[in-house]
Amino acid sequence: MIDLSRLTATQIRDGIADKLFTAREVAEAALGRIEALDGQVHAFNQVTAELAYAAAERIDDAVASGVVLPVLAGVPVALKDNMNLVGTRTTCSAAILEGHESVYDCTAVHRLLEAGALPVGKCNMDEFAFGSSTENSAFGPTRNPWDLDRVPGGSSGGSAAAVAAGMATLTLGSDTGGSIRQPGALTGTVALKPTYGRVSRYGCVAFASSLDQIGPFAKTVEECAVALGAISGKDPMDATSVDRPAEDFTAALHEGVRGLRVGVVTDLLEAEGCSAEVRDSISAAAEVFASLGAEVGEVELPSTAHGLSAYYVIGPAEASSNLARFDGIRYGRRAEEAEDVLDLYMRSRAEGFGPETIRRVMLGTYALSAGYYDAYYGQAQKARTLIKRDFETAFSRFDVLLTPTAPTTAFRIGEKSSDPLSMYLSDIYTIPVNLAGNCAISVPSGLGAETGLPIGLQIIGTHFAEAVVLRAAAAFEAAVGFDPTPPLVREVQG
Amino acid sequence: MAKDRLREVLEEWEAVIGLEVHTELTTLATKMFCGCPVEFGGEPNTRVCPVCLGLPGALPVPNEAAIEATVLAGLATGCEIAPWSQFHRKNYFYPDMPKNYQISQYDLPFCSDGMVEVDIEADRGGPQRPDRDGDYVTPIGITRIHLEEDTGKMVHVGGSEGRIAGATHSHVDFNRAGTGLMELVTEPDIRTPEEARRFAQKLRLIWLSLGVSDCNMEEGSMRVDANVSVRRRGETAFGTKAEIKNMNSFKSLHDALAHEIVRQVELLEQGGSVVQETRHWDAGAKRTSSLRGKEEAHDYRYFPEPDMVPFEFSAEWVEGVRAKLPELPDARKARFMADYRLPAHDATVLTGDLTLAAFFEAAVTIAGVERAKPISNVILNDLSMLLNAEGISVAETRIVPSMVAELVVLVEDGVISSKQAKEVFAEMAETGDAPGAIVELRGMQQVSDTGAIEAVVDRVIAANPAQVEQYRGGKQGVLGYFVGQVMREMGGQANPTVVNELLREKLDA
Repeated sequence: MIDLSRLTATQIRDGIADKLFTAREVAEAALGRIEALDGQVHAFNQVTAELAYAAAERIDDAVASGVVLPVLAGVPVALKDNMNLVGTRTTCSAAILEGHESVYDCTAVHRLLEAGALPVGKCNMDEFAFGSSTENSAFGPTRNPWDLDRVPGGSSGGSAAAVAAGMATLTLGSDTGGSIRQPGALTGTVALKPTYGRVSRYGCVAFASSLDQIGPFAKTVEECAVALGAISGKDPMDATSVDRPAEDFTAALHEGVRGLRVGVVTDLLEAEGCSAEVRDSISAAAEVFASLGAEVGEVELPSTAHGLSAYYVIGPAEASSNLARFDGIRYGRRAEEAEDVLDLYMRSRAEGFGPETIRRVMLGTYALSAGYYDAYYGQAQKARTLIKRDFETAFSRFDVLLTPTAPTTAFRIGEKSSDPLSMYLSDIYTIPVNLAGNCAISVPSGLGAETGLPIGLQIIGTHFAEAVVLRAAAAFEAAVGFDPTPPLVREVQG
Repeated sequence: MAKDRLREVLEEWEAVIGLEVHTELTTLATKMFCGCPVEFGGEPNTRVCPVCLGLPGALPVPNEAAIEATVLAGLATGCEIAPWSQFHRKNYFYPDMPKNYQISQYDLPFCSDGMVEVDIEADRGGPQRPDRDGDYVTPIGITRIHLEEDTGKMVHVGGSEGRIAGATHSHVDFNRAGTGLMELVTEPDIRTPEEARRFAQKLRLIWLSLGVSDCNMEEGSMRVDANVSVRRRGETAFGTKAEIKNMNSFKSLHDALAHEIVRQVELLEQGGSVVQETRHWDAGAKRTSSLRGKEEAHDYRYFPEPDMVPFEFSAEWVEGVRAKLPELPDARKARFMADYRLPAHDATVLTGDLTLAAFFEAAVTIAGVERAKPISNVILNDLSMLLNAEGISVAETRIVPSMVAELVVLVEDGVISSKQAKEVFAEMAETGDAPGAIVELRGMQQVSDTGAIEAVVDRVIAANPAQVEQYRGGKQGVLGYFVGQVMREMGGQANPTVVNELLREKLDA
């Protein structure tokens, strides 16, 4: 049996091309790992063995006929359950979409599969991506492979856990306020949120349209670079996707950081709830970059203090409108015995939405209401402009910025679920990046001295500076030498 | 009641009317935000895709041709074009809206501050207002023109007349959902139902000239809603307005406004007050009634559409669109009066219908500009009568411009009389034969040969000495008798002018 969790995407592709193993064997290995571990982890809402085997057969046929394999040929991938793929259900982990069959493909998913990937399943998430722990799933929480009593972060917790547990080599998540990076940090995986507009949002069920972005999870920075290359680029189906020349994000990946201007964001470290081990990890990271020849300095982003408040106006406002379509009329769950159409709406939504969804829809509806719009939505947009300016100023001095990805390591299941505000604070470092539309990666910096759990370093770049961010992350990754294998996986590896 | 009662109430009261005109961009190939084709009818829910069905994850991509059509419409109505504009979401729940929000525009419409002049002809529909006399031209301000997406169509089953009240269930057809819809809002500059009708007709003509829509009111591709209030003459404050919907023709627009104005005035004169509400025009019962349900005080929670980036229109781009403006109705009317020396009425009617105008110009090209007026006469009389009688369009007749041109030339050259021309016209409408062929086949050529006519004239004078006596005794009217006799003898083919001349010559001698 091949041990997938020891192979990178490129090693899998090359191994198939060199006939060391077949794509079918790779699919079997991934599905076998899901079989072995997902009963405990619950990273998946749906396992798509048939789709994976069908894709594997096409790759093995290509090998037999001597065709040059695409970059992700035979690589097992899994998708957050808010991305459409024909032949799967797309539920957003919401009761109102339980059993909803996709009738079209999400562009990023389509591109990933065009690159030869094998889709092994759809991953659990916080309902409609509202949350930071994957506890807000109508289908039950996902557990962190590093400690099954703890959350994997969220909202893309299933995608993060699937990679951490070696059930998929690459997964896709979506990030509105940190939903890729924060679970990446909590599960010891590499997680990239591309620049807004870099990856098409078409086919990914919208949370907040001006903030959402699809991105990859993997064990290594290089795999994220390959995945980004596969899924990015202008899409005629997404008016906010940006037309830029194709880039090979792996080209300069290992050129090091000598002379790179690295700014440590100091004021964010003072934020409420940042643990000592996380704070220490930042000074350690700064020393790593300095030792690698980078020019390390300090910078402040004062306006980001308003990030959380602005985000909790803009995000819910857009979400309240984006989620209006879930009404029981055309698809999804419809309440029985409604009196009239208004009653049908109210019952279907009350029955089909979880408490956090209802909270966000109400917050957003209120923020957009006549008489409150200027005070909430208008003010939040002003704060957003100020945060963008802060980043612009910082990027005039630095190539990349460093912050923690999350204020703490993985917390216990149930620990924050009754206190939305403390849950919201999980994304305090990631939210400003979405508001400004920048790109950022979370890369593991080690295990916390106190908790023994993974800590993530967030490396932020300006718009479309993914190549620089990935290069900095690759240098850091190599210097730190983090082993991304959780104890749970070591057991099954034998 | 209608007209007289309206005239009566408008003596003391003034109506203040503003229109909202929704026009579907039916001539575009595709819908506003997706690639589905724009066509009327079709099996329900066959022209749909993930985008116009609002499926989870689908995104709108703006149709640039729709934006250009709207800017063209703005330029044709004298509007300013916004240098910077964007879409907003208008949020409300209704089953004909797949997303439960409509992508529309809010405070930044593509076009604003325009003006359209409307001609009112006193003898056609009347001025209806005591402060105007005879024909007049009145300017109607255009507040804005914006672009939005149309909704689907609901069919309510089990209630009366297909309305939602009493229905047991409803079907939704999304074929129309997402079609580009242009909304024009006027200033409250309209004072009479006739002005409203003329404005709507003028607007339709402009849209048709631009080719942005088929403007079919029956099928709903052009829909006019009206806001109307009344106040005593001399007052400057506005009264409470009512919004009137469901006017599916220009006649309905006129009649609904006339009835609503009278209703409001009578209400106020009886000490009542007008309620701000939406009223539904029932063309059959000729009344408006209060429309409940959808119209409770709505908070649409407008906010900028985050799925699209804002639009910036450079002056160069706008000028590029302006260069595509075709000849507009006002310019065409002026040209018809100047180039063809047509009276205002002829020019108004001909340019009021694009197919008639094109028909006219084609016929003039063949027959020559000097025959423009007789061609106009044939079109405005014979052809229009035929169209009205049969309820058909020019394209549905067998008449083409070359036939009318030939017919007019035959009359002008004296080959047939204008009375005969009527017969020839009827026959060519029936058979589709060319007028020359009809005249030849039926031997209708008019005899203008003086010699031949003179012989008959002499014979008729000789045969009627008593009548000659009467004429010479001063009864000039008897001349008609002689003309009739001559024409009868010649089978109606004598040139009447020549017959008259010869008879006078002989009898007066």
